[in-house]
Amino acid sequence: MKSLYKLSTLLFLFVSVTSCSDDDSPGDNLTGEGRVIIEFDNSVAGDDLILGSSYTNSQAETLTINRLNYIVSNFRLTDTQGNVFTYPKEYGYFITSEETGNTEVVLMNIPAGRYTAMTFGIGVDQEKYLLGAEGQGDLLTEAESTDMMWSWQAGYKFLNFEGTFTSSTVPENTYFQIHMGSHGSSLDNYKETTLSLGTEALVSDEMTPIIHLVVNAGNILDGDNKISLAEQAVIMVSEEKSPKIAENTANMFSVDHVHNGDGSSH
Amino acid sequence: MKTYIITALLIIMGIYVMQASEMPARPCYRTISSSLMEFDDFCDVCGCSGNGGSMGFGTGLNNNFIGLRYIGQRYRSRDGIFSNSPWIDENFNTIQLWTQIPVGRRLIINAVMPYQFHSREFADDTKQHINGLGDATVLGFYQILKQTPDSIISIKPQHTLQLGGGVKMPTGRFEEENLEGSVNPSFQLGTGSWDYVLGANYGVTHRNWGLSAMVNYTIKTKNDKEYRFGNQFNYALNVYKTYYLGTNFALTPQAGIGGEHFEKNKEFGFEVHDTGGNALFSRLGVEVNYRQYALGLSSMLPVAQDLNNGKVEVKSRFSVYLNINI
Repeated sequence: MKSLYKLSTLLFLFVSVTSCSDDDSPGDNLTGEGRVIIEFDNSVAGDDLILGSSYTNSQAETLTINRLNYIVSNFRLTDTQGNVFTYPKEYGYFITSEETGNTEVVLMNIPAGRYTAMTFGIGVDQEKYLLGAEGQGDLLTEAESTDMMWSWQAGYKFLNFEGTFTSSTVPENTYFQIHMGSHGSSLDNYKETTLSLGTEALVSDEMTPIIHLVVNAGNILDGDNKISLAEQAVIMVSEEKSPKIAENTANMFSVDHVHNGDGSSH
Repeated sequence: MKTYIITALLIIMGIYVMQASEMPARPCYRTISSSLMEFDDFCDVCGCSGNGGSMGFGTGLNNNFIGLRYIGQRYRSRDGIFSNSPWIDENFNTIQLWTQIPVGRRLIINAVMPYQFHSREFADDTKQHINGLGDATVLGFYQILKQTPDSIISIKPQHTLQLGGGVKMPTGRFEEENLEGSVNPSFQLGTGSWDYVLGANYGVTHRNWGLSAMVNYTIKTKNDKEYRFGNQFNYALNVYKTYYLGTNFALTPQAGIGGEHFEKNKEFGFEVHDTGGNALFSRLGVEVNYRQYALGLSSMLPVAQDLNNGKVEVKSRFSVYLNINI
């Protein structure tokens, strides 16, 4: 019995020693500046988006997606104290493309900190557009090469979503083209979205978090607003439909997870 | 493959059950495999940690032994976060040098030194191999109840109870680079951390029958890459029967269940998405004893599982060991 008592004392000591070994707060001294990597992982309603594959939506339309390009811009990061860091506007526009596999945005020179939320725009805001062609920098040439521009007068395509579809009323494979943007300066379709990260993204001169976003392209036509391709398969300049598509598109982003580390792996 | 293994096991067991019904009236002079207890081996296996496999049984309770054991584990895990993301096959292989040495009258020391060689193949046909030492484990068990040593088979049930604990040392390499995408984070040689184990083993034998139960809990700590694997709780229950086939031969088929529960992993103090979970296994095994040698085979198949939010599935575990009583 004595030995039992001794043993339980030992066990107790053991547990108390080990149970308090590692709960110091991580990243206590985040200093300097670092990068933030944002991965835009394109999908359709829970399935990975694979160009050329077919997906049927809630409107019983089956889409074969061949292109998904969109512009994201004006990133702002909010830290645990509520401070907002705004990414410099002159570097703040990025074109992502499923075709080229360019689906990662790297933000440079972010002040060290613990960030809990992110806001960004989908498209190009009027302020930028109204700087005129000379004020666009590399964005203009990049947009031209990725088919993200109608013409300078008509403006940028914020979203270029193309493929073929069938439905009960359209049995033949039919092309669809969804090009959404502001119409010059007459209709502003630039929208912003704010995402809570659900955790903290730790930035310092040694730490580069990867924010892994899930982008549900199914939402473009099949979001809060239902857009039927059978009704209209080519939607570009449309004062009625393009604002609805802009709204759906702004709601297609969510945070899957954040990976803290040196940025080398996801 | 696993079907063959199980079929073979069942056939072997069946044959011996038949033969052993004509058991010698006089039991052998010595119970070689007096009771099969489970020991150790929590988690070293899968590289360790995340889905550390516990594989069950050890050998003779009152024996000092040294042995070699191979453990093979088959997993598959999703490369990606989507429901149509491709599955990746993962093979975890471990060879362990293990030993059990009594110290004094009531203390047993259990030590395991693993060598791991794991591989996985990605959807684009690229393969990844990692190999090297795993995490060494040293455990001490205090025998609160112990069997009368070297007794002939007793009329009364014999109980054993052991409580103990120990340490798992970061002798296996942990590479942050192996945390590839959302694929199984346990594809590692070790946890990279000092981990602590608490365990209890209970066994009862009556005539040729035996039952063993074990629970253990591994407290994992943060490694120097700020990654912390989730604490792990293992439990198992086995029944076995020993057949004495002549003076030097004994055969012990075993059947049981075992389960594992994992808490979520943490990185920089934040929970890692798609980690943690649990799995329940059925187990069949057999141990053959000849003089001072023990040869064991064991196979585990999942009955129910929910690992890493469904992103990781364990398919099977298989182990074979050869021990020598010293």
